Amino acid sequence: MERTFTNFLSALRGADIRVSVAETLDAMETARLMGWSDRQSLHDALAMALAKTPEEKVGFTHIFDKFFAFESFHDRQDEEASGENGQAADGGDLAAMLEAGDRAALALAMQEAAVEVGVENIRFFTQRGLYTQRVLQQMGIEGVDAQIQAMGGQGGGGSAGQALRESRMWLFEQVRNFVEQQLSLQGAATSQELREDRLRRSRLGNLDRRDREQMRRIVEKICRRLVALHSRRRKMKNRGQLDIRRTMRRNYGNDGVLFELEWKKRKLDRPRIMAICDVSGSVASVARFLLQFLYELHELLHDIRSFAFSGYLIEVSEHFKDNIADAAADKVMQKVGYMPTDYGESLTNFRENFLADVDRNTTIIFLGDARSNNTDPKAEYLKEMHERCKRLIWLNPEPPPLWGTGDSEMRRYRPYCDLLRECNTLNHLERVVNDLLETAQRAA
Amino acid sequence: MTPEQLEKLESIERVREGYAELGYICSRQIATAIYIAGHLGKPVLVEGPAGVGKTELANTTAAYLDLPLIRLQCYEGLDESKALYEWRYAKQLLYTQILRDKLGEVLGEAQGLKESMDRLHAHADVFFSERFLAPRPLLKALREPGGAVLLIDEVDKSDHEFEAFLLEILSEFQVSIPELGTIKAARRPVVFLTSNNTREMSDALKRRCLHLYVPFPDARLEREIIQARIPEIPQDLKYQLVAFVQQVRELDLKKHPSVSESIDWARVLLLLHADELEADMVRETLNVFLKFEEDIQSVDAELYAITRQAKKVDGVRA
Repeated sequence: MERTFTNFLSALRGADIRVSVAETLDAMETARLMGWSDRQSLHDALAMALAKTPEEKVGFTHIFDKFFAFESFHDRQDEEASGENGQAADGGDLAAMLEAGDRAALALAMQEAAVEVGVENIRFFTQRGLYTQRVLQQMGIEGVDAQIQAMGGQGGGGSAGQALRESRMWLFEQVRNFVEQQLSLQGAATSQELREDRLRRSRLGNLDRRDREQMRRIVEKICRRLVALHSRRRKMKNRGQLDIRRTMRRNYGNDGVLFELEWKKRKLDRPRIMAICDVSGSVASVARFLLQFLYELHELLHDIRSFAFSGYLIEVSEHFKDNIADAAADKVMQKVGYMPTDYGESLTNFRENFLADVDRNTTIIFLGDARSNNTDPKAEYLKEMHERCKRLIWLNPEPPPLWGTGDSEMRRYRPYCDLLRECNTLNHLERVVNDLLETAQRAA
Repeated sequence: MTPEQLEKLESIERVREGYAELGYICSRQIATAIYIAGHLGKPVLVEGPAGVGKTELANTTAAYLDLPLIRLQCYEGLDESKALYEWRYAKQLLYTQILRDKLGEVLGEAQGLKESMDRLHAHADVFFSERFLAPRPLLKALREPGGAVLLIDEVDKSDHEFEAFLLEILSEFQVSIPELGTIKAARRPVVFLTSNNTREMSDALKRRCLHLYVPFPDARLEREIIQARIPEIPQDLKYQLVAFVQQVRELDLKKHPSVSESIDWARVLLLLHADELEADMVRETLNVFLKFEEDIQSVDAELYAITRQAKKVDGVRA
């Protein structure tokens, strides 16, 4: 029973429902209290102990239905069940059970065999056949085969042999169904993890369109974590400067003796962000995710403005404010994309139109490969930006050895960057964003 | 739990019936939650939209199990001194003033500082004793000799620190007071925490609780609830009213009408001697269950359609 239970829990974890050890114990106690006879009650009770948000409840119901589904054993035709009992027992228990059509016993035998061979370890599609065979062997299918053979040897074997052969086919189907079910429960978890891990490490430029949806979900997940992490830290306010006035007022009741102290609440310093993104070629896909990150985190950041450029530079904040969907990115691409990149021109545009808005609280994130098609890079403008802002972070999708080769102007821009990082996977992006929030924390 | 209380929690059905007698109609999930919570002694975190009877659940539980209800309303800035205990500083100060003479007697013949100190110590910590302790809801609940129902209302409104502070109470049912030591629950209280989901509760808190999500009730359950609360309501009106409210909840509104508001509405209609829904009367009483001007306007625009539909549902029943 406990084994089945742990399998169920690992299936739940695969469906992104976090289950702690303490909750496992609670759930087992709950199950013991409720008993296993009433399915609906068991479901309700376990849902309370294990799934703790409305979304998790939906996922839980799904897994519960899948995991505790043994209907397949009730589909068997009744005529088979009432098939005549010829010579039994000498093919082993399994043959007897098959002939008697004892579904409950068969289901139990299958469960036991499954536990014995460890079906819960199944991870990949290709292991299906292997595990089906193992379960059948464990149940003693060889005995049944031998019996069928023996019957066949006696010339046709008559209706009993035929019935047994059919029953064997049926059993095979059942076991394979069962194994597939296990695969979809247990395998989903691992393959999901593998895929996520791969996506997080793969270069954003090489990403397939079909992976985008999944990527967006991963970004959301990371952002949820970052928000939880950093908003908690912001709540620390029990130190700092003493607020005499409030302290006095609060302690009137104590005859003016200062028992309880009040602290001046520190002003939160949420960074103001200007993101300037190159949207040419491979940089565009990184830009897309960087912007998604920034806008998902809007509650931790003060003010986000985004700019896109290739040949020239425009502000694109309003496109991303409401929806971060591909539509916004595509619209931006239509406006400024597909042009030879000109860093000099774009920096000039920024200086003319937006430099006045840069103040001591602004963090500028510049995303680009600094390949300017041999035009004048106008590094002095970047210097001006650097002097005005709090921090200038440059993210370059190219690996460091390529910086400054060919038409890359990275070396010329480098002195004016407070931080220069290679950035072309989700993991890189996460690190950058985390760093951004952390520094804001320290400054506060 | 006393044997009588355990008997009252003997099965899920029994819980449902018992609550129904007290005028609280609960769904199967709710009854299951109470059943498990009673037997395992775990706190229940109740989430759901406003006005579905989360607080009422705790009230009814207290009435059903015949336990005192101790309520702690959470808000931003709530801290230990308001939730758990506080020393009565004023009383302490007053007593030191009054007892000044007595102090002289105690220390009367003592020679030197050391001896005086020893004498004082011989009298124990009189000023930090139970007498000067002002218990707040949490401590009260723990010290209630027969057990209690503890309702920690709108826990999502409290700060993160307070949430962390709750953890010891929720898992061990004990609190540590530096001057007095650890106080353990005389008898485990039945704990309900309610949350309107204005913020996500921490995993640590969720891990220690059973989680019950109470959605808006379906039409049948809502009819039962109204029947239980207002037994004299005409059948037609009840069916139509519930059908109407259910439809309004489907609309895109700022705030959906809660169960308590539909009960209020039923009371109002009853006062107006309505036997069934009339569009005009509905229009005049919309403000009973819709609290935003925009919401009233958007429902008003579709008033006739919804009323007709509500009556049709009623017709199907007949």
